[in-house]
Amino acid sequence: MTKVETGAGAIYEKAINLEKVRAAHKPLAEKQTVREADGNAAAAYASLQMWRSVIFGGFPITPSTKWLETVAAVVSSGKVGAKQLKLLEAEHAVADYLAGAAAACRDLIVSTATSSVGLDHMAESVRSLGASGLGNILLIDVYRATANYPLCIEGDPSDTLAHRDSGWIQICCRGIQQIYDTILQAPCLGMHPDIMTPVMPGYYGIKDSHKSSRLLLEADRDIHAFQDALIAPSKLPGLINGDTAMGNCVTSNLFQGYKIDQKQRMENVFKVLPKIGKLFEKQFKRPGLEFVEKIRWPKDDAVDLAIVGMGPDMGTAASLTEAMQEKLGIRIGVLAARLLTPFPAGEYSRLLKRAKGVLVVNQAHHYGRGHLGLDITQACYSLDSRPAIVNCFAGMGGAILSDATWEEMIQHTSRAVKTGEKLTPPVVVHEGRIEWQG
Amino acid sequence: MARVADIIQRESCFQPGSTLCMGCMESIAFQNIGKLTDNGKKTIFALGTFCGEVSTLQYPNPVAWGRGETTPEKWEKSFGVIHHVFESAPGVAEGIRDTADMLAKMGALSGPVQVAALSGDGGALSIGLRTLLMTIHRRVPITIFVLINEIFANTGFQFGPTTSPGSETSTTPVSELVDGNPATPLDYIGLTVAAGAGFVAQVSPAFPKFFMQTVEKALASSETAVVFIPAPCITGWKFGEGETVNLARLSCETGFFPCFVKEKGQKGQIKFVDLDPAKRPPIENFMGPQRRFHHLVKKDSKTDTFCMRPGKEAMMQKIRGWIQNHLDSLNQLT
Ligand SMILES: Cc1ncc(C[n+]2csc(CCOP(=O)(O)OP(=O)(O)O)c2C)c(N)n1
Ligand code: SF4
Repeated sequence: MTKVETGAGAIYEKAINLEKVRAAHKPLAEKQTVREADGNAAAAYASLQMWRSVIFGGFPITPSTKWLETVAAVVSSGKVGAKQLKLLEAEHAVADYLAGAAAACRDLIVSTATSSVGLDHMAESVRSLGASGLGNILLIDVYRATANYPLCIEGDPSDTLAHRDSGWIQICCRGIQQIYDTILQAPCLGMHPDIMTPVMPGYYGIKDSHKSSRLLLEADRDIHAFQDALIAPSKLPGLINGDTAMGNCVTSNLFQGYKIDQKQRMENVFKVLPKIGKLFEKQFKRPGLEFVEKIRWPKDDAVDLAIVGMGPDMGTAASLTEAMQEKLGIRIGVLAARLLTPFPAGEYSRLLKRAKGVLVVNQAHHYGRGHLGLDITQACYSLDSRPAIVNCFAGMGGAILSDATWEEMIQHTSRAVKTGEKLTPPVVVHEGRIEWQG
Repeated sequence: MARVADIIQRESCFQPGSTLCMGCMESIAFQNIGKLTDNGKKTIFALGTFCGEVSTLQYPNPVAWGRGETTPEKWEKSFGVIHHVFESAPGVAEGIRDTADMLAKMGALSGPVQVAALSGDGGALSIGLRTLLMTIHRRVPITIFVLINEIFANTGFQFGPTTSPGSETSTTPVSELVDGNPATPLDYIGLTVAAGAGFVAQVSPAFPKFFMQTVEKALASSETAVVFIPAPCITGWKFGEGETVNLARLSCETGFFPCFVKEKGQKGQIKFVDLDPAKRPPIENFMGPQRRFHHLVKKDSKTDTFCMRPGKEAMMQKIRGWIQNHLDSLNQLT
């Protein structure tokens, strides 16, 4: 057997025959098919259609449970060939199990889905995995408020935002098709040799996880062709095909070197992600991965007021803008965040350079100006003419963002633009009223 | 069963160069386990955070794991090791095991793979008890080695669930009010048998033949095999150089850590220790050389033997009672 030495030990090239793994996969879809699916089912189908995706782990928590149930149903039917779903005793155990599986063979994709305190329960492992270089792990986070006191099972991204420093690439999705498409592209990003960082795609619990709509299911064959063009066998040894040691201890004078490497791999996402997105778009004729989704945005970036937020509520915002533009006599643009980590500050800075005011909608509790608010403020800091940045909290705990709430937030922002105040105190808006001001 | 004389000729996956304390039993255990894994199967270890990890995987010190100076030519001699977090070695090993099994099922794996988890007793029986028992409960065919030194050594010798009664640790200090640790240890052998382990043993390198034969069987088990290895800790137990193996032997003979083996469906065996307390060496012989018990036992300068300090009857009786109870309950499994 040919042995190849690498900086991280030896690889025994024929120890694992990936062609057999590919051959063991059976297609979920022979050809492109239209299905009715909710977000969790769409995420599960995407996870199941990749031939490299052989090992799954899970533990139930609302609202991600249906991902697990769907994977269980499909795996046990044998429809997609030999796959292993391990039902573990806790989320922490799931993350540890995936760590072992991902390290065992770097060329396979291992996945799970969780939410809220489930993600927190994994925290120790999640943070270790973020630094591990194991880019072949997919952790689907179905957003739900965290933590308890009070317990609330609806969609609120405070779980994912609490893990912005955990070392994972985080991508926010809105809508059933985008959830599916994002998961198909995620491993291409995470497993890229210059990135090698695990990916946490996420979507709103209830609002998207439990909402059914039309899903275009691609043929497994086409998904494989897309991924195979982007994913090459790992250049580093895994535990099975290699002679290697992972997870060493170091002293402080070496630690920072590891962190520089980790930072650099994360930075490389900015280079690789658009390429993956373009290839996806070329093959599947739908938008691929991008830093920011321009839901309603002029080509020349000429907006007076920009709305920046996350998730499915941004669609409602876009549907209201025309009427609000007329009412207020201003140009309004709507951006939905896609890449959360690493945060594409440069992209926002380019897009917002002509805005007079930016309304940032934060849907997760934060003591300051909001997670997204801080990042957007930083992105605008270097602009010659800084816009007024208005941070609103709305939709926390998955609350509905009613038309009246959107109108109030937009009015509140345009008032700030008029007064010339650059950074207003954060407010909480609910059912069209400002309920609290910082 | 391979001959011991042959096993010791094999190439260990644990090499000199670790920073384990001089006289640490873990080093002896790893060298021998390492030889036993040189059996034609590819070997993978998942480590928890414990002395056996922080002192063996420290970069840029030479990583103590691996067979020899260079990577082996043959894949089946190669060795993979991963440290993930403190408490999860069995769970990580389970992920590795399942991946290897899935690849084998698809015909994608070129040969057999053996997977072992290694942790300290704190990692396995305190913070990681859930993972340990649930991995066993799922019948995962891995070998779980637990190094029992009674304390969280790596963080400075604190009390854990296996600490012997009366022992002084950094969190059960001796004072005028208390004689060290007031608690009795968790019955980890009983627990793992009850959880359904296919093979449970307590072995010590102080009984080399039994150690070799038992570990070899554990590695070949088709269900979860759990091997507890009492490991005298020179720094935490505070004993003199050269005493490690002697104390390991005494720890069994006095009943603190009876050697034991039980395969599922068969009767267990208690080894190298008598069930009759009168026929066992006095516990003072094991306790005396260790400073963690100095408040209970001293050396009689006239007779040159270890004896109880006056006024310590209650704690000594507690220790004897625990030992006898534990042996009696193990005996139920034989
Ligand atoms: C979650 C977590 N809590 C605490 C620690 C600190 N810690 C590291 S090793 C260790 C003690 C390990 O004890 P044990 O498993 O008995 O192994 P030993 O050090 O005795 O070899 C502790 C408490 C940690 N690494 N992770
Ligand atoms: S502290 Fe104890 S267990 Fe740890 S290396 Fe030293 S002797 Fe071994």
